[in-house]
Amino acid sequence: MSEEIRTPNAVYSLAVSPGFDKDGVCFAACRSGLYKSDDRGQSWRYAYDSLSLQSPLATLAVVTSPDFESDHSVFAGAPGGILRSVDAGETWSIALLPSPPPLVSGLVISPHFDHDGVMLAGTMEDGVFRSAYRGVHWARWNFGLMDLHVLTMVISPNYAEDETLFVGTETGVFRSTNGGRAWREVDFPMDYAPVLSLAVSPDFANDRSLFAGTESSGIFRSTDGGEAWAQVRADVGDEAVNGLLISPEFSTRPEILMMLSTTLLVSRDGGQKWSEWKTGFSAPQGLSCVAAPLGLDAGAPLLIGLVEGGVLLI
Amino acid sequence: MANSQRVILQPGAYRGIREGIALMANAVRPTLGPLPRIVALDRLVGEKPPELLDDGGVIARRIIQVAGKDRDMGAMLVRQLLWRMHEETGDGTATAVVMLQSIFEQGLRYVAAGGNAMVLRRYLDKGLPLILNHLDGMAVPVEGPGQLTQIAESICYDHEMARMLGEIFDIIGEYGQLETRSGRGREMEREYVEGMYWKSQPFSRDMLMDKARYRTDLEDAAIVISDLQIDEPRLLVPVISMVAKAGIKNLLIICRSLSDEAQALVLYANKKNENFKTVVTKTPGLTPTEVAGVLDDVAVLTGGRPLRRAAGESLDGLKLVDFGRARKAWADRFNFGIIGGKGDPREIRTHIARLRKAFTGTKDSEIRKGLQVRLGKLLGGSATLWVGASTEQDIALRKALADRTAGALRGAVREGVVPGGGVALLECRNLMREQIEKSTNRDEQMAYRILVRALEEPTRVIIENAGYNPDEIMAEVRLAVDGKGFDVRSATVTDMREAGIFDSVAVQKDAIVGAVKTAALALTVDVLIHRKKPPESVNP
Repeated sequence: MSEEIRTPNAVYSLAVSPGFDKDGVCFAACRSGLYKSDDRGQSWRYAYDSLSLQSPLATLAVVTSPDFESDHSVFAGAPGGILRSVDAGETWSIALLPSPPPLVSGLVISPHFDHDGVMLAGTMEDGVFRSAYRGVHWARWNFGLMDLHVLTMVISPNYAEDETLFVGTETGVFRSTNGGRAWREVDFPMDYAPVLSLAVSPDFANDRSLFAGTESSGIFRSTDGGEAWAQVRADVGDEAVNGLLISPEFSTRPEILMMLSTTLLVSRDGGQKWSEWKTGFSAPQGLSCVAAPLGLDAGAPLLIGLVEGGVLLI
Repeated sequence: MANSQRVILQPGAYRGIREGIALMANAVRPTLGPLPRIVALDRLVGEKPPELLDDGGVIARRIIQVAGKDRDMGAMLVRQLLWRMHEETGDGTATAVVMLQSIFEQGLRYVAAGGNAMVLRRYLDKGLPLILNHLDGMAVPVEGPGQLTQIAESICYDHEMARMLGEIFDIIGEYGQLETRSGRGREMEREYVEGMYWKSQPFSRDMLMDKARYRTDLEDAAIVISDLQIDEPRLLVPVISMVAKAGIKNLLIICRSLSDEAQALVLYANKKNENFKTVVTKTPGLTPTEVAGVLDDVAVLTGGRPLRRAAGESLDGLKLVDFGRARKAWADRFNFGIIGGKGDPREIRTHIARLRKAFTGTKDSEIRKGLQVRLGKLLGGSATLWVGASTEQDIALRKALADRTAGALRGAVREGVVPGGGVALLECRNLMREQIEKSTNRDEQMAYRILVRALEEPTRVIIENAGYNPDEIMAEVRLAVDGKGFDVRSATVTDMREAGIFDSVAVQKDAIVGAVKTAALALTVDVLIHRKKPPESVNP
């Protein structure tokens, strides 16, 4: 049965299949659970039917395997555990996280998941959990992580070589260069935190670039692998930068999408100049998350999660 | 005459000091390098085999006296240096002693030829900061477990140990707590403990709910942070009541002492209400400074307010906001720990930055040690390395090696590394030669010449210990470009950086400082005075 998400039901996170162009599969993590679309976001159905839940299971994070087309793996973060599906969201198993039950705020998965089985979960007040067993077993790894309030996470596209990840927290940015087993603070000024969003360049191995979006201080950029940061756009008023996306061809086309509370802005020169993503676009309610399944070309589709429920397809 | 003193003037004073230095240096010298020789030490009692040693600091520690009082004084000067280095740096003792011996011998010849020892000392001290700055300039940071393993292996020459320590320090960092223990088998194992913990005992084992493991886990716990003496049970009643009314189900109380009556109250409350648990544990720390540090750290981590006995504070007037909070607290027979403290992360980071600044701002080794322990805890976690081997003797040897390597590795992580095999010291020679060219003072020039020769000595000894002719090899090394040295394992002159042969810059610096200062001091000793019955001590 297909249904649109109509009920007041905040969308926390979106994940798309790497083969979205062919299969049109995407997932939305919501207050009432996880929803799946097979038609590029046109319609959605509840993904937890097989669990026969007696009450809604709030799901704050979702991520698909980079090999989704072959392994059909998708993971969802819920209070106290990670749900794992190996049949594209039809059935689920649950891996409980060590108590006390943490609230999973984000999930990242290794680009070489088929070889290393590594994924990490960020939580609201318990730091980072790591699995090297394809999400079956998890352990807390918070060495050096002085701030356990993880608001956002990104993984290096070159993770197989550099084992690098970043987390954005209440007080700034932390970096791991050993696969998430230990964290070190970087030179991100605490005064500009919290950091709500992070985006790493697809060419990180060469350009060492990544961007951080903050609650009230705009966007920052690092060009040395996250060590030092400079403000690239401050004039966003009091608006929080809730989402950042970077073009897959960033090295030749330095395009960045910034999602504020009610607007989408795009830069096509690496963050110097910004313009509206779509002239005249105004969201009916607050924007909570965004996915760009086919890149950031002008006219490319975007999936946008809404604070009060629903997923926009523009 | 009872308690008369014997006074030794020159040249007897120099002769005695020289022989004592030579004794200690020649005992430690064979241990330098990746192919060291072993020093066998006879046991004092029993019929056990001799103790086999390859660590300069331990060898020096074992030699508590040498024959001849004059020689003994020279030997004890060296012993003090090596033991201090062993305790504080963990490595570099053999490097220091060979340079010390070289400086002293050369200095002695100069003084015998009419030079002034005090003036020479002054210029030796003048050259020292130039060498230290040059070493700092060469240092590069350590990056990644691979490089950490390389450095560890260049210190301990034990691949399994190096791999373990490389991984451990990559995770726990320069301040992280590492405990080495004798292993349970032949292999080495490591274990990571999440969160922070302190050595402490609960006031009663009956407070620990898990009787099999003697442990209690307290989820979403409230914490009373204090060094108070809780004598009257009535003081605890409002505390427990306040926490229970707030819907909190677990309480950890840290205090200096707990009377039997108060203890009985806690046990009764635990028994009466299965949904509410209280554990009372002793405030960690032996000294007032340690206790104050623990209270500050736990308070910042958990967002609570510490109650200090010295400030006249008490449990009366304790408010709910004064309690620390944590996602989980735990206690067992020997420790209590905190996972997920709910303190303000900005305050936590600021507190850690303050402690780091205090650490780098002091040279006092005791204070640094205390701060390092605090920082290690605050950065959230520790590791245990279980060191195994075939025999008990081997385990003890390997464990000592692990401790020493860990100490040196910590310094390497903190300050960086330089090309190994003595090459970094060799590269400082040109700097001294430039100073010789610039100076017009004969004594100053001599001091720098002495340093040039001394800076070569570690490389020469490494080559000699490996069974090669140092003169021949040094001629080859001199022709090579900077950064190249002799890799005794492959028997080739090679670029040490490319070969992954590094030394900790902290160790090299400590060695040259110790060598110069001690040798210069020995050169200025003019008179020896012996008491008839000197006090005996095994401490330096």
